[in-house]
Order: sequence, then C-alpha cells, then structure tokens
Amino acid sequence: MKPDVDDLDEEIRGHLALSIKERIERGEDPEAARLAALKEFGNVLRTRESMRSVWRPRWLDAVEALVRDIRFAVRSLLRAKGLTVTVVVTLALGIGANAAIFSVVRSVLLRPLVNRDPDRLIYIRQTALGIGTENLTFSMPEINDFKSRVKTISAFGDFSTVDFTLIGFGRRPRMVTAGVVNGRFFDVMGLRPALGRLLNAADDGPQAARVAVLTHRFWTAVLHGDSTVVGKVIHLGPGMATVVGVLEPSVPYPAETQIIANVVTSPHHLSATMVTGRTHRMTELFGRLAPGATLEAARAELAAVHAAMLREHPEAYSAQAQVGLRVSTLRDQLASPARPILLLLLAAAAIVFVIACSNVANLILGRSIRRETELAVRAALGAGPGALRRTLFAESLILCSAGAALGLVLAWPLVNVAGRYAARFSVRALEATVDASVLWLGVGLALVASVVLAYVPRLPSFDRPGGLGLGGGGPRMTPATKRRLRILATTQIACSFVLLAGAGTLLATLNALQTAKTGYDMRKVLAIDVPPSATGVGGPANLRFFEEATRRIGELPGVEGVASGMIVPWRDHNAGLKFQFAFEGYQTANGEGNPTCRFRPVSPRFFAVLGVPILAGRDFTDADRTDTEPVAMVSQSVAQRLFPNGDAINRHLWFASGGKPQPRRIVGIVVDVDDENVVQEPSLTVYLPQRQLGLPSRLFVRAAGDPYALVPSVTRTIRNISAEQAIERPTTLEDVRAEVLTPERLNAFVFSAFGGVALLIAIVGVAGVLAFSVSARTREFGVRLAVGATPTQVLTLVLKEGLVIVAVGIIAGAVFGYGLARVASAYLETIRMPGVLPAVVAAVALVAAALVASLIPAARASRVDVMQALRSE
Amino acid sequence: MTKTPEDRRLELLQGTLDMLVLRTLQWGPQHGHGIGQAIRTQSDDLLTVETGSLYPALHRLVKRGWLKSEWGISEANQRARYYRLTAAGKAQLLRERDRWSQLVHAIGLVMNPAPSKE
Repeated sequence: MKPDVDDLDEEIRGHLALSIKERIERGEDPEAARLAALKEFGNVLRTRESMRSVWRPRWLDAVEALVRDIRFAVRSLLRAKGLTVTVVVTLALGIGANAAIFSVVRSVLLRPLVNRDPDRLIYIRQTALGIGTENLTFSMPEINDFKSRVKTISAFGDFSTVDFTLIGFGRRPRMVTAGVVNGRFFDVMGLRPALGRLLNAADDGPQAARVAVLTHRFWTAVLHGDSTVVGKVIHLGPGMATVVGVLEPSVPYPAETQIIANVVTSPHHLSATMVTGRTHRMTELFGRLAPGATLEAARAELAAVHAAMLREHPEAYSAQAQVGLRVSTLRDQLASPARPILLLLLAAAAIVFVIACSNVANLILGRSIRRETELAVRAALGAGPGALRRTLFAESLILCSAGAALGLVLAWPLVNVAGRYAARFSVRALEATVDASVLWLGVGLALVASVVLAYVPRLPSFDRPGGLGLGGGGPRMTPATKRRLRILATTQIACSFVLLAGAGTLLATLNALQTAKTGYDMRKVLAIDVPPSATGVGGPANLRFFEEATRRIGELPGVEGVASGMIVPWRDHNAGLKFQFAFEGYQTANGEGNPTCRFRPVSPRFFAVLGVPILAGRDFTDADRTDTEPVAMVSQSVAQRLFPNGDAINRHLWFASGGKPQPRRIVGIVVDVDDENVVQEPSLTVYLPQRQLGLPSRLFVRAAGDPYALVPSVTRTIRNISAEQAIERPTTLEDVRAEVLTPERLNAFVFSAFGGVALLIAIVGVAGVLAFSVSARTREFGVRLAVGATPTQVLTLVLKEGLVIVAVGIIAGAVFGYGLARVASAYLETIRMPGVLPAVVAAVALVAAALVASLIPAARASRVDVMQALRSE
Repeated sequence: MTKTPEDRRLELLQGTLDMLVLRTLQWGPQHGHGIGQAIRTQSDDLLTVETGSLYPALHRLVKRGWLKSEWGISEANQRARYYRLTAAGKAQLLRERDRWSQLVHAIGLVMNPAPSKE
C-alpha cells in the first residue's frame, strides 16, 4: 500500500505530462508549455516529501524531532563542561550505589534457589533460647522420632559437619570441612550433580562403601574443574573414600563445605554416642513437604511431635533452656538474617539517589535561569511550550543516560564489594552479579530523573510580569525560583544529616566494640588451630602430641610461653560448650535448675600465656593428671555469685547431669574473661585441666616480639612431630577480634561511605546555590557597598544565608530521621536510635562543611567592584 | 491560471479540500491532474488547488481508506494513478456535506440576521 519514491515520482511525471499536453492542445509552444507546467507545479521535491510524510508513522516524526533536540542538547552541554561533568558524576554515584545494592538485594531476597521446587524445601531448627542458643541442632534419636512420626514431610535430609584431613588429588594435606549426610539428603535438597552422581539411599548404613561428593566451589577453586576426579580414591580423615561426583553450584547452607560424604566415612557418626545419645546434638535437618501438605500443616505436625518428644524425655530438655522448634522454607531461612541490613542499605542508597537528584536539579535550575534569555528568544521565535520542554528533556536525558552509564560501570566493582559484605549475613549474596535487571533499574532511574529534571525549570511565559525577559543583564531570580533552589539544597542537607547520623551511630558502636577491654593480652598471643583429626580425636595420642608440641615450641627463640585449649576466644564461640554444674554448698532456688556454666578444658599456664590474672589459689600443673585428685578452676563470677562468703577455694563442683557425680576441688579463681562476646559480660566459666578431661585443638603461643614472625618456626616444629598435621589460621587475638567485628566494621564503612558521598554532594549543592544567589545579587551588593556597608557585612550576609539553609536542613533531617527510625524499628529490630553524640557530630560536620562551601561565594560577594556592579545595567 | 485576475481567486477554506476531492470523484475514477482541473472548472476558475496540497491530500485520503488508487494510462498516454471513491469515502462525503451545509447555514444566520418578528 505504501508507495515508494519511484511511485511518487511517476505520479508526478504523469501529472506534468497531462499538464503539458493540455497546454500544447491549447496551442502553446511545447518548450514553453513544459516550463509553464513545471512552474505551475511548484517545488517537486517538497511535494514529493509531503506525499511521503503522509505515509510515515507519527512516532517517527517525534523521534526525528527528539534526535534533533538531542543533537542540539549535546552541543549546548559541551559548552558547559563543568556543569555536565558535575551532574553526570553526581548521578553516577546515585545510580551506581542503587544498582549495586539492588543486585545484592535481588540475589538474596528475590532470586529463586537452584534447588528443585524450593517452596517445598523446608529447614527445621531446634532452638534453646533460654540459654541463648539460636541453633541447638538435633541428635539422631530426635531425628529418628521425626522420621517415624511426621506424615506431612515426605523425606528428611540430615547434615552435620566434621573436620577431616584430606590427602589426595596429588596435593598437600589440607583440612576440609566435610558434610556428612544421609542418602536422602540430596533428593530432599533437590540438587543435581555437575559431574558423576550424588549420594543415594544405597550409600546409607555402616556396610556401604565410603563415598564422597565434591562441592562445586572446592572443585573449581582448588581442583580447577578437573574432570577426572570422579572415581579417584582419597584419604578422608581416618579412612579412604571414593569420589563419586561433583555437586552443582548451590547455596552452601548450613555450612560451607568442601566435600560431602556418606555416614560411613565418619566413625563418630557410627558410634553409640551419635546413634543413641539424645543430647548429642550436631545435626541439621531439612525436609520436603509431602504432596498436598502445606508449610503450616507441617509446622503444626512437627511442633506436635516435638512437644511429645519433650514430654517423653524430660531429662534431655531442661525447662530453663526453653527448647523450641522453628520451621521455615530454606529460602526464608537464608534471606531473613540479611533482610534488615539489606533494606537499610537500600534505604541509604535511595537517600543518596534523592540527594543526587536534588543536587542535579539545583544545577539544572541554575543553568536554566542563566539561559532564560535564550529560551525567551526561542519562545519569541515561535517555539511552543512543548518544544521548549522537549529541548530541556533532551538535555536531561543525555545527562541522566550518561550518569546511568557511568553509574552502571561503577556498579560493577561495587556489586562485588557489596556482595562480599552481605555474604556475612546470607551466603546467597555471593551469587550477586550485575545483570540485565540492574541495567533496567539504571535505565528506569535515569528516565525518572530526566523527566523530573526537565520539569524543574520554569519556561518563559508571555503572561509573566515583565514579559519574556528578552532584555539582557545577567541572571535574575524570581522569589519562586529562589525558593525552589533553597528547598532543594535543604533537602540535600536533611538527607545528608540522616545518613551521617546513621553512620556516626555505627562508628560509635564499632569504636565501643573495638576498644572494649577484654581481659586478654591481645597483641602478644598467637592463636593457632591445630585440628586433631589426623592424630585421632580425643585419644591419648592427641594429648601426647599437644604436650610434645607445647614443649618443643616453648624452646623456640622468641617464645615466652605456650599453652593449649579448645577454644580461640570469639572465633570458636559457636563450639563453646555449656553444661549444668552443681556446686558444693550452693542451694538452687525453687524451680531454678543448676547454674549453666561454660566448660573450658585448658592446659597448665593457659592463663599466664593469655595474660589472664589468677586472683586466688593456683594454676593447673602437669601434676593434675587422671590418676591424681580431680580439680577445677572457676571464673570470678562463679566465685562471687555462687560462693557469696568468698570461700570458693577448696569447695567442690561436679557435672549436674548424667552419671555418677565426680566432685572436683576448686583450686583457683581467675578474672572473668568472656570468650563469646567481644564486649565483655560477666561469665560463669568452669576450667578443667586438660590432662584430666580435655581435647586440645588450639595452641596459644605468647611471643616476646612480633607474634607473626613465629609462624614459620612454629609450623615447622609441628610438622616435625606429625607431617600430616593441618595447621590453620595463626592469628593474634587482636586480629581475631577484628575478624569477628568485620560485619560491624563493614556496616560502619558502608554507611560512612554513603554519608561521605552525601556530604560531598550536599557541599556542592549549598555552594552552588550560594554562588548563584551571589551572582544574581551582584548589583544589590554593589549598592550596599556603595552606601557604606563594609565587605565584612556583605560576607556575613552570604554566610548567614548558607547557615539558614543548613539549619533548616538539619532540623528537617532530624525530624525526618527520627520518623524514619521509628517506622523502621517497627519492622526491623536491629535499628537503633542514633545517640545524641553522633547526631551532634553530624550536625557540626554539616555546619562546618556549609561554612566552607559558603566562604567562596561570600568572599566573592564582599569583593564586588562597586562601579562595575552599578554600571552593569 | 494567469487568466484569473489575482483579486478573483479565493483561498481554499481549511479542511474543505478533502470534501471537494471526494465530491469530484463521485463522477468516477480520476487522476490527480484531472481532479485539480475538475475543481477549477466546476468552481468557475475561482478555486485553484495547489499541487503541493492536492497530492498529499490524495495520499492522506487513501491512507484513511476513503479512496482507492490504481495505475492506469492517461490521455497523455502515460501511466497515471487513478483515484476511486470507496464505500467509506462515500459515507464520509455525506458527512462532510452535511457539516458543510450546517456551517454555511450557521454563518449565514450570523452574517444576514433575519429581521426579527415582533
């Protein structure tokens, strides 16, 4: 239907031919007739074009107009390079931060798991909130109760971890964390092999062959994706095992493991303790909903079965512990710890975006006032409001697209940073990548910003008093424009204040954590993990090995003392054991159980090496052996709380639960140290001598000089005793604490970064508004100076204007921030109101920044040349 | 054209060209040149249609479905595009004619008010 150019030409030729013929028939000369016909026809090309344009779709015209506008905008922006760069960078920061945070939020909270049918995959957790244990885990008898009684779950998968020494693949011995699972585990999890096969029901039981599956991360990172691993035989802990497959990439939950093996690979899992001990809890439990069953139904049935278990075995569940059950989909379980922090980050990123946009709006507004004359000329020449708006839109579209593009480039590294950061809260954050959805987010934000920006400036109007304002004479500000500029600057200050106060709170918290006194000698002690699996768990060989290592390392130059224990403070606090103890002479109040104390087997000289003073009595010695009197040491809190008469020494204590009580004489009292919390709290701790009851697995080396300088000689010494011994993570206590505080430090860092960016943008914003205000008031200042105002007075005038903006902004920010924190704390329990100090510091920082920002324009105002200012119109 | 004195010529009223074209084609298919000539002679040389307006108008009417076009051989023995009224075009012509008479009537009432009967 649509005619092409040749068609149209032919139609026109046909017309001309008819016209000429008619004229010739009328008697005109052929040549004259041809010329007359052409003359009558007029502009052939234009007619052809208008015929063609009939057939062109409307939007094509609009696009053409836009392209024209964009070309115009590019030229005009190139003339204002400073502005363009500022706007683009500001927007890039806003958009980049949002894109990065959004991709992490997406991968953690929104993206489905790789597991088959993830909505039917549930995670079951036993809690003991009474003793502060979020995850008590399960024992095999408990799991077997569930397996035999629950009908709404079609299959259970159980998972526990064991540290094994792995020797194989032609590499050095290394410690690996192995998941030990039942045959249904992978089926329940809904995971597939990337190579070979996974474990199945045939791998269950003590008679099965010893087999293992590698996790994808271990396979790619350590074995570089070697496709020949399937079928290889490796030393795994106490025996050999065959690698049967590689697991597909999946979320490593509940624990990051390198290898997942069947039960038969771990002698411990086959032992009577494991199989029949109802309180021997170390196993995590997953389930798959039976067809037709809902999560609620499963939750109710599991709770009922659990309640029955508690009734049937009261001895295994103390009332004080408040043992409970929590059932959720794995997906929720993974996302929930990260949700508050991610939403907080998203809010911070959104605030940065608002600040960026309002700052850019300010700059654009200032620019549009400067070019009011240009717009007025265009309006006078017939450009309608639509056309003018389109010009402005084209400009803001270019600015915002450039900002978005740069922002996405920024987002690339930011996603990695943010992902690693959020991984502390949810392992899924590591999957975060920049992808198409982020691209769309960037495009969306840029579009929103450009539409907003295009509508910020006012168009010249014939209705306005004073007409179009074609007369030159520098920028002029109407009160309305001035108000807009100030509102935008105030918004920036308010948002910056919220971010800075938040960052300040986090920094104050971090500082409190980092400088808290711990009771330990933090700098001189090196803590080393020497996992005992290679020497046989808990056996006498293990003890002999540690004593030999302690002796030999103690002889090394630069070593002041060596001791061993089970727990590196803070780092191993999850493994910290707690038991109920009975104390001689201590009457438990009605209904109260025996006091629950931390239980810490340590070697002689442990307290001296870690710098913990002994308050009374003596330290353990090498003479405290299994064949001598059972003894114990207690923390100060135990001595004070349970022996109010100060007579703890030489009294006795014993394990309150299970078996024949074996009284132990208290031989010493040490200062309280809290190895679970960085901020020390009074702790009831019972220390037992390692030779009487202990499984040493950590070495503590006190150095005369730099502790890290001892690492090579210590490692060599240990390897000389046992070549296959794994030696891991030698770290000073100070660095252990720093490591433990990483999430807090990252929180503080990220928010400080946001706050810093916000502050920077706000300074630019305030300076911009004032600079503009000053240049618009040059004449006024000239008059003031001419009639006798001193430059100082003019300077003060401008500074005051800046301070008013900041003051109003801070007040607005305080109100807004207070409201925000109130609303947020209703949903997120981790939100804390900023203290007074961080708020004051934030306010002072903003005022100082604003003063600096105001100084340059103020100085310019006070140096106005009177004559020039008065002559300028 | 030159025969028509400048002051006799009339500007086509906005929006009436379409109606005139549709009306002209009521007599049967015609090519662009013919349509232009017909309007001129029918109006006693008072109305002249610029080719620059006529041809885009023809194409617009085709696009709207009121005309159909096909190639034929003209009196000049050359290919020419002939336009023909469609059913929709006929309906449109009726509508435009009605509107036009109403307009003429309304303008007439304003310009030549009937003497009021008291």
